[in-house]
Amino acid sequence: MAFASPIRRRRDGRFSVRLPAEVRTLLGSLAEQMVPMIDSDDPAATRLFPPAYIGEEADDAEKQYRKLVDGALHNHHHQAVSTLAETVNADSLSADELSSWLSAVGSMRLVIGTRLDVSEDMEPPVPGSPSESEHAVFDLLGMLQATIVDVLAADLPDEGEPARAL
Amino acid sequence: MSDVKTAPVEDVRTDLDESVAPDRPWLVIVWNDPINLMSFVTFVFQQLFGYSKEKATKLMMDVHVKGRAVVSSGTRDRAELDVYRLHEHGLWATMEQSG
Repeated sequence: MAFASPIRRRRDGRFSVRLPAEVRTLLGSLAEQMVPMIDSDDPAATRLFPPAYIGEEADDAEKQYRKLVDGALHNHHHQAVSTLAETVNADSLSADELSSWLSAVGSMRLVIGTRLDVSEDMEPPVPGSPSESEHAVFDLLGMLQATIVDVLAADLPDEGEPARAL
Repeated sequence: MSDVKTAPVEDVRTDLDESVAPDRPWLVIVWNDPINLMSFVTFVFQQLFGYSKEKATKLMMDVHVKGRAVVSSGTRDRAELDVYRLHEHGLWATMEQSG
C-alpha cells in the first residue's frame, strides 16, 4: 500500500493539505500556546533567539546585534505561528503560507525539544511516563517538518546537477 | 582604499567598530543541534545561499559530524545578515572574524 504524502504540490502552484482533524486541532492549539511563549523568558523560548557572537569580548557586539534584530525576529516568529493558526483548517496553502507552516513547526520543535532536553542518541520515553505525550507531539511535528521540506525542496533549483542531453 | 571598493552599497551602518583588521572576512558558523532534522538543515542551506544539494548536504554533514561548519563568509554586515536569516530558520548560527 502506497503512503500518500499529506502535503502535495498542485498543478496551480498551491499545496493541498490532507491532515486528520485531530492533527489540525493539535497544531492550532500549539500555535496559540506559542504566541505568549515567543515573548516570554522561558528558557525553552530563548532557543528561538540564539546569540550571533560568542566568546570573550563579544558582549558589546552581541548587544548591538540583539538591538538590531530582536524586533524583526520576534515579528518573524509571530507571523509564522499566526499564519499557521489562521490556515490550520485550510484544504490548500500558498507557497508563502506553507513556508510559514515550516517556520512555525520548526519553532515548536525547538521549544518542545529544548524542554524535553532532546539529544541525538536519546532513548524512547518509557511508556506511561509524564513526558510521553510531549515526545509524541515532538515526533509528529518532526514528521510534518520532514514532509514540508520534501515538498518545498522539490521546487529548489539544483545547480549541482549537470544538465543532461536527451 | 580596499574597503571603499569592497563595501556593499547597502552598507550604511556605522555603529559597529570595524577598526580592527577590517580586511579579514567574517565567517558564519552553524553549530550542531539535536533538534533540527538533517533534511531541514540541508534545505535551509540550499534556499538561503543557493547552494547545490550536493554542497548543502556536505555542509550539513560537517555540522552533524564535526559539530560545526563555516557556511558563508564576507563583510561583517553580510555575515550578520546571514546569521539573522539562519536564526529566522531556527538554526544555531554565530559569526567570528577569521584569522
